[in-house]
Amino acid sequence: MTESFEPRIVAFLCNWCSYAGADNAGVARMPSPANILPIRVMCSGRVSPEMILRAFRGGADGVLVLGCHIGDCHYISGNHRTVKRVPLVRNLLGYVGINPDRLRLDWVSSAEAPKFAKVTAEFVEKVRELGPIAEEMAA
Amino acid sequence: MTENTIKELRAHVAEKLKELDGVVALRRTTEGTAPHLFQDGDDLAQLVMEPRYPLASVVSLLQKRFPKARFGIVARGCDSRALVEMAKREQIDPDRLYLLGVACTAGEAQECYCADPAPDTEQWPAAEVIGEPVEGAPPNPMVAEYEQMSLEERRAFWRQQFLKCIKCYGCRDICPECFCEACSLEDPLWVERGVLAPDFPMFHLIRAMHMASRCVACRQCELTCPAHIPLTVLYDLLRQDVGKILGYDPGADLEVAPPISLSLEDAPIKAKIV
Amino acid sequence: MEYKNVLTTCVYCGCGCGVYFEVLDGEIVGTLPVKEHPISRGSLCIKGWNVPAFVNHPERLKTPLIRREDGLGVATWDEALGLIAEKLGAIRDESGPDSVGFLASAKCTNEENYLLQKLSRAVVKTNNVDHCARL
Repeated sequence: MTESFEPRIVAFLCNWCSYAGADNAGVARMPSPANILPIRVMCSGRVSPEMILRAFRGGADGVLVLGCHIGDCHYISGNHRTVKRVPLVRNLLGYVGINPDRLRLDWVSSAEAPKFAKVTAEFVEKVRELGPIAEEMAA
Repeated sequence: MTENTIKELRAHVAEKLKELDGVVALRRTTEGTAPHLFQDGDDLAQLVMEPRYPLASVVSLLQKRFPKARFGIVARGCDSRALVEMAKREQIDPDRLYLLGVACTAGEAQECYCADPAPDTEQWPAAEVIGEPVEGAPPNPMVAEYEQMSLEERRAFWRQQFLKCIKCYGCRDICPECFCEACSLEDPLWVERGVLAPDFPMFHLIRAMHMASRCVACRQCELTCPAHIPLTVLYDLLRQDVGKILGYDPGADLEVAPPISLSLEDAPIKAKIV
Repeated sequence: MEYKNVLTTCVYCGCGCGVYFEVLDGEIVGTLPVKEHPISRGSLCIKGWNVPAFVNHPERLKTPLIRREDGLGVATWDEALGLIAEKLGAIRDESGPDSVGFLASAKCTNEENYLLQKLSRAVVKTNNVDHCARL
């Protein structure tokens, strides 16, 4: 392959923790990959399977869901739903032949700017290895 | 169903009709067989057990229309499980229901790969079972076969299957657990209008996710699908996951609330699947 | 308190799938497929599942309507058919038979479609007969 593939990643970031963490990473000038398209949601629990699937349908090569750590959710137990839902969506993707590693759930607090930079960089590389989603979505 | 079981069933229904406002069961006439509300005085020779229709939905409809009435339902294992999940979601009032359970035969259990071919009377305040309950049948071998497939093979399999979909919404319309008035599958944001076959993976994966912790394996969806898409393979796989990750078995226990929308304190994760 | 399923045939296309209308105290509340039907065998397409939608629809036509100066108004069958015969006849006489076209429908019976093409060929004297599916 002469051109290297630049993955397009949709990242759902919860307003109170991970979005703030992302913001802090930017303020601190930490290098984070430009492949990330951030979408701010009020809570990671708001991220429905429909939203994740729509992101893949729309051409995202990978979807990242970042929320507050369990126990730190601004809405107390919003992220409890996330931690149950996302593994099911991952498995479901695997059942229809889409690599489940294209969906990742992680916890990033507002104070964890370095973790944001690390998780996003890691994920971009992982998805780069997996290749463009178009091959797995082709009808 | 054996002749004897049906005869016994009719006798029990006749008894119960004296105290209930009606019993929901299948009625066979010269026109065909369909769900019916039998009432005291009706000809019970018309009561049959085949072909299987989702009777749970009929009971729900009747209970809502007649909030003071007390109905009975002739229920197989699948009907009972469907009713359990509906009761948890306020679609059925167990206190106004009499469950006239019927045990399926081994042959019938095999046909549906059913693990629970008889209603669990302990779930219901008022219930009985007619016929000898048999052992559950082994699961659909297609599921195990499928789990062995590689990602590429799975992709090819479902591509071929989903391309057949004519978006009749039959799977949704016939499912006893699909009672939402505003259905995601009708939201143009997720499922584009006027596109056949529905864009992969939206329609089918959204439905599968919505079925997680609801699907009781009654198999009506697959039976009604005009394109013969093996939907239950996908729903069975997800049901296994809900069992492993959340320790939840849809239809098994009226007292256990559906776990996904509960907090971790109320419904903890049992096992992590990476 | 009466719940029953009434067997009927879907009107939407030539397949003629069996449909049950769930009727609760005289009101249609839902549809079910007919599992024993030799053609449809327990399946329906989206139109079949929603056949009753037009039965009680507020916009369902219950009488012929004629557009007059003050808008659409109720007419009798005689008035409506008379007007159609008059106008079609006038167009045929003025611009020739081939200026009129007829579109048959899968919602009609074969017999009704036969009559339509008879009207087209024998009365208006044109071969311009086709089917709504070709629109």
